Amino acid sequence: MAVNYVPETLEEALLLRKAEKAVPLAGGTDIMVQHRRAQGTAPNPGFPVMVISGLKELKGIRKLEDGSVEIMALATAAEIASSDIVPWHVRKAASGMGAIALRNTATIGGNIGNASPKGDLPQPLILLDAEVVLASFDGERRMLLDDFILGSKKTALADDEIIKSVIIPPHDFTYMFYRKIGMRKANAISKLSLSAACSVKDGIISDFRASSGAAGPKVIRSREAESMIIRRPVDELADIVPDFLDAWDHAISPHAMPKYRRHTTARMLTYFLEAIVNGAEPGVIGEEEK
Amino acid sequence: MLRKIVFSVNGSRVVFAGNPLTRLIDVLRDELKLTGVKEGCGEGECGACSIIKDGKLVTSCIIPVGACEGSEIYTIEGIRDTEKGKCLVDAFRDGGAVQCGFCIPGMVMAAYALLSANPNPDENAIRMAISGNICRCTGYDLIVDSIRLAAERGGDLWQ
Repeated sequence: MAVNYVPETLEEALLLRKAEKAVPLAGGTDIMVQHRRAQGTAPNPGFPVMVISGLKELKGIRKLEDGSVEIMALATAAEIASSDIVPWHVRKAASGMGAIALRNTATIGGNIGNASPKGDLPQPLILLDAEVVLASFDGERRMLLDDFILGSKKTALADDEIIKSVIIPPHDFTYMFYRKIGMRKANAISKLSLSAACSVKDGIISDFRASSGAAGPKVIRSREAESMIIRRPVDELADIVPDFLDAWDHAISPHAMPKYRRHTTARMLTYFLEAIVNGAEPGVIGEEEK
Repeated sequence: MLRKIVFSVNGSRVVFAGNPLTRLIDVLRDELKLTGVKEGCGEGECGACSIIKDGKLVTSCIIPVGACEGSEIYTIEGIRDTEKGKCLVDAFRDGGAVQCGFCIPGMVMAAYALLSANPNPDENAIRMAISGNICRCTGYDLIVDSIRLAAERGGDLWQ
């Protein structure tokens, strides 16, 4: 059985990562489940694991000088959901993860590192052009989360690196939308999810973006489809919608139940776009509370 | 070199030296004999193993003991004889919340976490608070009523 570790500092963790290729365990809600064995026995993943849950260097959520928000890797879903500086889409997704006990345990670093196409947090983070900060003993690098997640359960994490934090740039949307479709109100893995956002200034759509979760091997954003709407007058939006929906349908690639997932994705986008066409009050579309 | 993990369970100091991936539930049940912590699904879905760790409700079947350094942990055994614990146990009994009973320690811990944070929850808040605790007997209604009863009877106890 591989040896497992509990580093006391980030520096020690980075050394263990470099020397032993130890895989970081933050909350445990993925590794402990994926490698569980019988009652009374410890999970045996077959590779060295380091439990980094206690590392203070990787905790907290803070606002940076440029207005960005930095969420450290060990921030839990509950902390993210209840933070008033985290952008709405991300708070919304965090508040819908699992149930209370899971939200008190699961971390943003783990949700990104696991890179499940059904993961709740990557979808809104990719919508917001979030970047991930990767730390190794030899230094740090930053990259777009959309580039970091390569496919289902595949990331660009080097075998000496740890996810240190996620940085979300500031934004100011006129309209926002988020929907997670699961089998239940709580304790459900996402069947399909969608985030969308739109900014309108002086009758012109200055920003439009959407991201689809659980509709392909990774979260899907189509800049090509988004560009069909950006810089166009709101008055013309109704005429663009059919071509946009067609382009989005080509961008997603749902594997199981593709007909259902394509149909429902189009319905969610239509709902959001129609609200804009109809001159809805600025804010969150499709919900009473913000 | 094995790092010792030091934490407290129900107010008593515990020192663990072993595989840090050992599940907390196994330490609680097998080593500390706190068998009020039940194992249902073993993957953090059913809530039977719910405990309070550093003031927060968590499922002990997916917590590695290596994540417990410095933690304060409470199980059903640690709260049942407190004023709040007695209030909940009495309310669950009087409200008829218990059938087979397997989910109840976890339900009580979830209710304890709820009322400690929100002394006067409405039905929706109660249902949200136990949304990670699965009961296969009752259909939940009597459990929800009993938690409401504990809130009403407890009054200032939960403030």
